[in-house]
Amino acid sequence: MIEVKAELVGSVWKITSKPGDKVAEDDVLLILESMKMEISVTAPRAGTVREIRVKETEVVKEGQVLVVLD
Amino acid sequence: MGDEFSAEVADLKARRKKNLGMGGPEKIAKQKERGKLTVRERLGLLFDKDTFVELGLLAHQQPVRGGEFDADGTPADGVVTGHGNVDGRQVWVIAYDFTVMAGSMGAIGEQFKAARVRELALRYRKPIVWLLDSAGARIQEAAGSTFAGTGYLFYDQVVMSGVIPQVAAMLGPCAAGTAYIPGLSDFVPMVKGTSSMSLGGARLVKAATGEEVTDHDMGGSQVHCYESGVGDNEVEDDAECIAAVRRFLSYLPSSNTEPPPYHDTGDSPDRLVTELEKIVPTNPRAAYDVRRVVKAIFDHDSWFEIKATWAKNIVVGFARAGGHAVGVVANQPMQKGGILDSDAADKAARFIRMCDAFNVALVYLMDVPGFLVGSQVEKEGIIRHGAKMLYATSEATVPKITIVMRKAYGAGYYVMNGKGYQPDVIVAWPFAEISVMGPEGAVNIIFNKQIEASDNPEETRARMIETIKEQISPYVAAGWAMIDDVIDPAETRRVIVHGIEQARGKKVDRPWRKHGNIPV
Repeated sequence: MIEVKAELVGSVWKITSKPGDKVAEDDVLLILESMKMEISVTAPRAGTVREIRVKETEVVKEGQVLVVLD
Repeated sequence: MGDEFSAEVADLKARRKKNLGMGGPEKIAKQKERGKLTVRERLGLLFDKDTFVELGLLAHQQPVRGGEFDADGTPADGVVTGHGNVDGRQVWVIAYDFTVMAGSMGAIGEQFKAARVRELALRYRKPIVWLLDSAGARIQEAAGSTFAGTGYLFYDQVVMSGVIPQVAAMLGPCAAGTAYIPGLSDFVPMVKGTSSMSLGGARLVKAATGEEVTDHDMGGSQVHCYESGVGDNEVEDDAECIAAVRRFLSYLPSSNTEPPPYHDTGDSPDRLVTELEKIVPTNPRAAYDVRRVVKAIFDHDSWFEIKATWAKNIVVGFARAGGHAVGVVANQPMQKGGILDSDAADKAARFIRMCDAFNVALVYLMDVPGFLVGSQVEKEGIIRHGAKMLYATSEATVPKITIVMRKAYGAGYYVMNGKGYQPDVIVAWPFAEISVMGPEGAVNIIFNKQIEASDNPEETRARMIETIKEQISPYVAAGWAMIDDVIDPAETRRVIVHGIEQARGKKVDRPWRKHGNIPV
């Protein structure tokens, strides 16, 4: 199990994966918006999305868990 | 007479042969088992063929503290010193031999041999390279209050800083005070798995604080090249490490009184970089890999990235532009949106100062949404860290070229060598945006009352945003002659090469001072 965390503070702009999705390394899981930039959050390695812990427009803190991969 | 002569020479040869044998076959086999090369194999890779001249081969341990010593068991006293050529230029070396008392720094090796190399490298103004694979100070020779007389090594390094290039190649352990050798060096490649550095080795840490940790877990490349930023480039093995040292030196002059070496790469200065159209999206919110931009603009195969795995939101490294060595500072929209934070500012400031010290021209490729704001970064002291980058860019007097590719916002525009920082050339691409902040943020502050008072706030806001957007166009800045030109991105390479040639005789006079007070 891997927890994918936010690298910086921002809001969740678009969620591009859902629980059960099989993802490859570097696949985009969701996109944050911070400082007017779209910041892709990608899978650190291949796996299956177990859980998405955030909702679109939600504000997240640096280090907050966004997605859990199996 | 003839017999005596040849007997003396034979004795000399035998002494040399013994010391060239390092710590002996058993220790050498152990060194190999760890995946490491011997110190002499490393020197063979570092220097051009047959150019190494050794000083102090016949040295060995001495009864420094009146205690026991082992002359036979300490060939060269555990450190090989001398000079050789790298691409035909003289370079000095201090190479620790782990097969001799774990490469520990003995009194003879350190206070006589290594000290002599430091003195001569500085006297001749030639680069110095440490090949580090050492358990640290040889405690049996160093413990006690005569420690009061040690430490010249780091003092010398500071005196040499910015005068001659200093490289610390991490090929094994480097614990305790000796970790300051890389700490004070200009370039620190680290071999994955075998190298480590820490102020206290694992055994000392256990004794001092009770923490149980291995040298590798505490100070391997996975820490220093990814988290701490103390290491520069993680490499796979000894050979790759030494190749990185040679590559690094190829961009730098032998000392700060010379220009960096020019290499004709055969790549035309006027080549149009038409592929940029496929790499950079005009939508300022969208990301791309700026390293592709760098590789497209500069001479083929000339890009050598530094600290590629740490503070990835800014990219720094050496390249060649029409054969001239340049230092590139580029925002990386693919990482954290290219936003500047504390580590990114530290990384860039350190690199900019190295380039400036050694006469390497700087090229800034700007696409920056600004510095990260908020409570977290204030706790980290982002004002202090950001100020380092402001300082370094202001202080640099080498030719400085600025390309505003897309976003140029706020203090990000300043630290990336905006107009106020005396660029020799500053140009923008047609879709660049230059402003104290993005249109959305600006509208909320400037027109907040009008928007609230309006019958249709959203429509008013949108109209205001459009008004601001017109003002951040690069043609406004070009109209005021605050930038030199707006260029077709394909012309970027030509503009950079011609800019460096334009600024070649650059002289900048500043008021006398002992030294500035850079925020650290």
